[in-house]
Amino acid sequence: MSSVAPPNPSSESVLSGPLRSRLPLLLRGEHERIGAWLASASLSHPVWCVAVIMLGAGLYGGAIGLWRAPLQAGFTAIKLPLILLLTALGNTALNALLAPLLGARLTLRQTGLAVLTSFALAAAILGAFSPLVAFEVWTLPEVALTAELGSRFPSSRTLATTASSLRSFSILQLTNVLAVAFAGLAANVRLRQLLAALTGSVPVANRVLLAWLLGNFLLGTQLTWILRPFFGAPTLPVEFLRPNAWEGNFFEAVWANLHHAM
Amino acid sequence: MLEPSVSSLNPPPLPTVSGPGATVESLLRQPQSLLDALGDATSGRVLGWLGGLATLCLALYGVIVGSFSGHEQYWAAPLKITLGLFLCGLICLPSLYVITCLGGCRAKFGQVVGLLLALHALAGLLLASFGPVAWVFSQSTQSLGGIGTLHVLLWLVATGFGIRMLMAGFRQLETRTLGGVLLWSAIYVVVVLQMSTALRPILGRAPTLLPTEKRFFLQHWANDEPTATPGRL
Repeated sequence: MSSVAPPNPSSESVLSGPLRSRLPLLLRGEHERIGAWLASASLSHPVWCVAVIMLGAGLYGGAIGLWRAPLQAGFTAIKLPLILLLTALGNTALNALLAPLLGARLTLRQTGLAVLTSFALAAAILGAFSPLVAFEVWTLPEVALTAELGSRFPSSRTLATTASSLRSFSILQLTNVLAVAFAGLAANVRLRQLLAALTGSVPVANRVLLAWLLGNFLLGTQLTWILRPFFGAPTLPVEFLRPNAWEGNFFEAVWANLHHAM
Repeated sequence: MLEPSVSSLNPPPLPTVSGPGATVESLLRQPQSLLDALGDATSGRVLGWLGGLATLCLALYGVIVGSFSGHEQYWAAPLKITLGLFLCGLICLPSLYVITCLGGCRAKFGQVVGLLLALHALAGLLLASFGPVAWVFSQSTQSLGGIGTLHVLLWLVATGFGIRMLMAGFRQLETRTLGGVLLWSAIYVVVVLQMSTALRPILGRAPTLLPTEKRFFLQHWANDEPTATPGRL
């Protein structure tokens, strides 16, 4: 004899609410509501997360790519959301396996959606920062024409422009680091709070979050390496992928740079 | 006899924001009533009054800024100051909404727009009231750096009051932590300073209405070139 569970009135009312109301709830970290979205069989929440990731990370990617060229902006607007979506998708099984091993009784759907939700939150924050980055790109000195640098006697005007261009690139990079760090931090704080609410244990939530972070870091950094460039070096052509995209990896590059620095 | 009177126990109801005069009154004395008005059915009208007040006051102050150089700056400076500040608000609005929501704020998007407009309106009102002081200095000095510094200081004071009102508003909207609003305020100040560099000259004169060379505002301020009159601010 099978029994059908009665519908949860709270989750029903949440899901029947307008989709746009999800963002403030997510930003405020209202875990009861978010927990209901994660438990629901409806497709509305995953679709909403994918849409927010594409829009938020796309806008931010477009803003940083604009520094190099409009075409680079288009490429980066595609690649940045792709990294988040592929990382979430690629690690779904691993995250779902790690959660019970570390003491969290979460389903495959819950683990997948929890990570996707935290990525959506980070993308929403990045999207909100995209007008600031676009403004920065618009008002800072643009990419210098470096062709003349190859000559033996570059004019003082070119050198001055290049120094100014490098300075603006440093400011842009610093802004990017701060924005990504803020978005990542906020998303992980909310994910930790959500995991604590779902598992009922803060130590378990901490363990699971750390394990997921490591897995996502490993896959995410390599995807970022393969899908480079994002800003686009002024001396290299604008491309969707570098010709040597599949050569080497992120950690080899970091090691080589460290070795070179020493 | 020692019991407090009924009127002291029940504070009088907040006045309704029913016109431009009442909007000014609310900005200066009763920002809570402004916030209540932004949350009800009359919010559209209140937004309109705030926007209109900000435009009028900023344009008035812009004319005083332009009076330092005269000529085309009589119309260019008010236009750049008004549009530039509204553009800064537009650029910073999404981050303000997201940051305050992260702090637990329960504001509707319209209320956040209203608070931002109120910041501009209050800052504009204060700048306009500084107008006579700024005009006297504009007419009696030739130093571009000196008058530029004075305008930046006046703007910082006016914006400081605006940010104080913004924080009071978000506190009323159940924002758990105001650290995010402080962070946003720092971003807003940097954006406005950079906008003033991107739209230069606002104070001095130059052959072109907008700059031909892009610069970071610190780099522009540190520039020792004796280009003198073309816009320092």
